[in-house]
Amino acid sequence: MSVSGSESAASANKPKYSKFTQQELPACKPLLTPGIVIGAFSLIGIIFVPIGLASLSASQEIVELIDRYDEECVTASDKIGFIQDSKANKACTRKITVPKPMKGPIHVYYQLENFYQNHRRYVQSRSDQQLRDKDYKDPKAVAKACDPEATTGDGSLIVPCGLIAWSLFNDTYAFSVNKKSVTVNKKDIAWASDKNSKFGSNVFPVNFQKGGLIGGGNLNDKLPLSEQEDLIVWMRTAALPTFRKLYGRIETDIMASDEITVVIQNNYNTYSFGGTKAVVLSTASWIGGKNNFIGVAYVAVGGICLLLAMGFVVLYVVKPRALGDPAYLSWNKEAAEYSH
Amino acid sequence: MTLAIGDGANDVSMIQMADVGVGINGQEGGQAVMASDFSMGQFRFLVPLLLVHGHWNYQRMGYMILYNFYKNATFVLVLFWYVLYTSFTLTTAITEWSSLLYTVLYTSLPTIVVGILDKDLSKSTLLAYPKLYGSGQRNEKYNLNLFVLNMLEALWQSLVVFYIPYFAYRQSTIGMSSLGDLWALASVIVVNMQLAMDIIRWNWIIHVFVWGTIAATVICLFVIDSIWVLPGYGAIYHIMGQGLFWLLLLIIVVTAMVPHFAIKAFSEHFVPSDIQIGREIEKFEALNQCVYGPFIC
Repeated sequence: MSVSGSESAASANKPKYSKFTQQELPACKPLLTPGIVIGAFSLIGIIFVPIGLASLSASQEIVELIDRYDEECVTASDKIGFIQDSKANKACTRKITVPKPMKGPIHVYYQLENFYQNHRRYVQSRSDQQLRDKDYKDPKAVAKACDPEATTGDGSLIVPCGLIAWSLFNDTYAFSVNKKSVTVNKKDIAWASDKNSKFGSNVFPVNFQKGGLIGGGNLNDKLPLSEQEDLIVWMRTAALPTFRKLYGRIETDIMASDEITVVIQNNYNTYSFGGTKAVVLSTASWIGGKNNFIGVAYVAVGGICLLLAMGFVVLYVVKPRALGDPAYLSWNKEAAEYSH
Repeated sequence: MTLAIGDGANDVSMIQMADVGVGINGQEGGQAVMASDFSMGQFRFLVPLLLVHGHWNYQRMGYMILYNFYKNATFVLVLFWYVLYTSFTLTTAITEWSSLLYTVLYTSLPTIVVGILDKDLSKSTLLAYPKLYGSGQRNEKYNLNLFVLNMLEALWQSLVVFYIPYFAYRQSTIGMSSLGDLWALASVIVVNMQLAMDIIRWNWIIHVFVWGTIAATVICLFVIDSIWVLPGYGAIYHIMGQGLFWLLLLIIVVTAMVPHFAIKAFSEHFVPSDIQIGREIEKFEALNQCVYGPFIC
């Protein structure tokens, strides 16, 4: 075979060259040089510390009043018996003094502790189809979804079914500031997306709390579910065992040293499981509620990064190394050691 | 570990017994090729097979195995810490769809693409310094220390992803679906950032897949939260409208990455491996060849 013949046969077998298959795509090869390392840590420090300080100051400006009332509102020794007695007078008056001026709208929350709305069985006990569509009446599917609160004793369906709706919180609060009563705006406390699409405007409560045990509050039969905002807020299950839910808003301002009187209807039974209840009044800001954590965290991380930047500066000065010097390859270093 | 290379029928039994058998397809026929793991046309191709492709394969496999354990451990540990706060019932705050899509979509494609395309040193460097092959023989890319370090990083990052939102939202009105969305998005971003920090060669395909996967995750979270039947309906829209969400996302990603970055910066500069020196030689070679002196060309 002639040389040129074998060459043309070889080039006929050669695969088509492409940058992808030959792994020669153009690429940038970033490398951590001392400048990049120190620059990155310093940049993080310089950005994070001011953000942290701004968050801390925003959090300090928020005025938050928490009043835990479940212990003191029940004076009877048998707390559970008292709370389950439907004829007992459960009204309780609490006084809160306002330390700093509070600008409206002031958010009123109820806070529960040791209440696991994230319990697996509890969270699954609902039927979203039933909440939205009044014609959804598949009894087997509803019973499976809402077990154990799906039907009454004689088998008729409960609307809304499930443990979440059944355990609806039903303490009420009536506020007065300096003896003048203040209205709490209970409109638009639920998410608009829930009111419009998740809870039907033609679905009405049926047989609610008629399953044998009463787990919480009652619902107005005449209002459709899309307008039952307390229920909608309650059914958006909380993530953690200590949580708050929006009760309403006070639209007016409250001055410092004003005295707020809350008349609480202490209906909800948290005594059976060692839970606590509190009423919370809080002003609003871009950072949400009063929480120093985010500010402290930002300042801490920014500070640590600045310390790391300084530490690396010291290290680079004390132990410099020329980048890309072949003398540092392990076989060259061994040769240098041998030759000494 | 033995490699046997041969081209004739008498080499077949040797090729079969060796750990890696290489057959030459040539003048003595095709029996050696049929019995071998790798086949080539000439004996001299053995050099690039070992020094270039063998080295790349070792580095890619070692990193991908470590990374896959790490990314799944990070996600599962985030779910695990939540169990402590659900009265030990196994509720997952992250929606089941997101948990499924995590391995399938949110973190799979960058892994595959990096495993195929990334390389630590170029062909010419590896052929010029054959002793770089020793990195594989010394188990430098996959050993017990690296595995333990990986798992510790997974532990740290899962703690950061879980507890920073926990402390920020502890006594608030946050719902399970909203917090779950934050945890899911933060996990995905952290895990992909870890990969991004370790990628050595960024070509356009790797860029598309890494950043595209994060974008795809956000899109999926929006789609999942737009299905009215699911409990998380509307959650992502609600929580993304709050400034606190974005602040938390930023601090979670940075705090999770700081230890990895610091360890990487320290070990690459003060205890450099041969591979690291090789990378620097490649990058600064052009600078070192400047006519009038370093950096003055």
